[in-house]
Amino acid sequence: MGMLKKFFCSLFLISSIEARPISYSGGSTLMSISDNLKDSTYYHYSPTYKYSIGVEQVKDKFFDKKFTYLRLTYLLNRKNTKNSQRNLYFQSALSTDNLNDNFYGMHGDWETRRLFSGFGYKKVINNFRDFAEQYFQLGIAPYQGNYGDFHTWILMKTRKNSLVGDWKTYPVLKFFKGDFLFEIGYDSDVDWDVHLMYRF
Amino acid sequence: MKKGYFLTIFLISLFAWADDDHHKSHTMEMEAHSHEGHKHEVMVDGRKLEVDPDRFDKFVDGQKNFHVAVISVNGMVCDFCARGIEKTFKKDKSVQKIDVDLSRGKVLVLYSLSAKIEFEDIKQKILSNGQNATDLQVISI
Repeated sequence: MGMLKKFFCSLFLISSIEARPISYSGGSTLMSISDNLKDSTYYHYSPTYKYSIGVEQVKDKFFDKKFTYLRLTYLLNRKNTKNSQRNLYFQSALSTDNLNDNFYGMHGDWETRRLFSGFGYKKVINNFRDFAEQYFQLGIAPYQGNYGDFHTWILMKTRKNSLVGDWKTYPVLKFFKGDFLFEIGYDSDVDWDVHLMYRF
Repeated sequence: MKKGYFLTIFLISLFAWADDDHHKSHTMEMEAHSHEGHKHEVMVDGRKLEVDPDRFDKFVDGQKNFHVAVISVNGMVCDFCARGIEKTFKKDKSVQKIDVDLSRGKVLVLYSLSAKIEFEDIKQKILSNGQNATDLQVISI
């Protein structure tokens, strides 16, 4: 049961930080995520807008252990229009502790200044039990701020983990201004999910 | 005074025509004055300058002897995602100022007069942020 919690928690963290997987060319991103079970710090660098490489440090509060992942995200497809952007990404990661612990998957999003939708699928392979996760996300911006303003998004996220078996749906609020982003979600099972991001 | 004005417009038109032929980049120029109440809405070739006039006037307020590049960008739907555009252009020493208009998908860049403004270079800068530049209009102030 402990291991299941560990895997579920790791998966939850991984899914949450996929919102901005690649920066602009030469850009770096620092992320921090915290909930009742885990603290995570993830840094990634984007040599081009096509891919990012990064390191994620996860502190497991439940087992009082630390894990380190090497991550790669690649932009498979992007469609820019005047009023929207659509993305499709491939992602992968290897644990530095054990190369048999890894994951791969795809996720995508489509957004306008008013609407956001996203999905993701991930297959996690490890020494204990392989599992998969999928999620969908829908959001709306209650107002359309100008460049440099304080921006707000209201989202609903629903996810299914093959280890747990049922869908979880919970609200997420996202705020950003300048290079800072703050996201907070709540679910009775996973408790508070707090996400900070700084891009430079 | 009127003759000088029309001569200026005519010369700029000729220059714009030649520039367009050379680069095939939809780049045009217009003479923009800072007279009070003057709205910079129409290019010399009659095309509409799709930029917020008030925003443009605010951007060029107090500025003289500069080029303003009005760049149309596809995919610029998010403030957080557009940050890289500003950072990329600010690395160019000939860029004095930049403004992003999310609602119209425009980027305004204030260049020094000596700057060579190439649409290909601008397209690369925008692409490095993951968006696409679709049009460029250069205005001399």
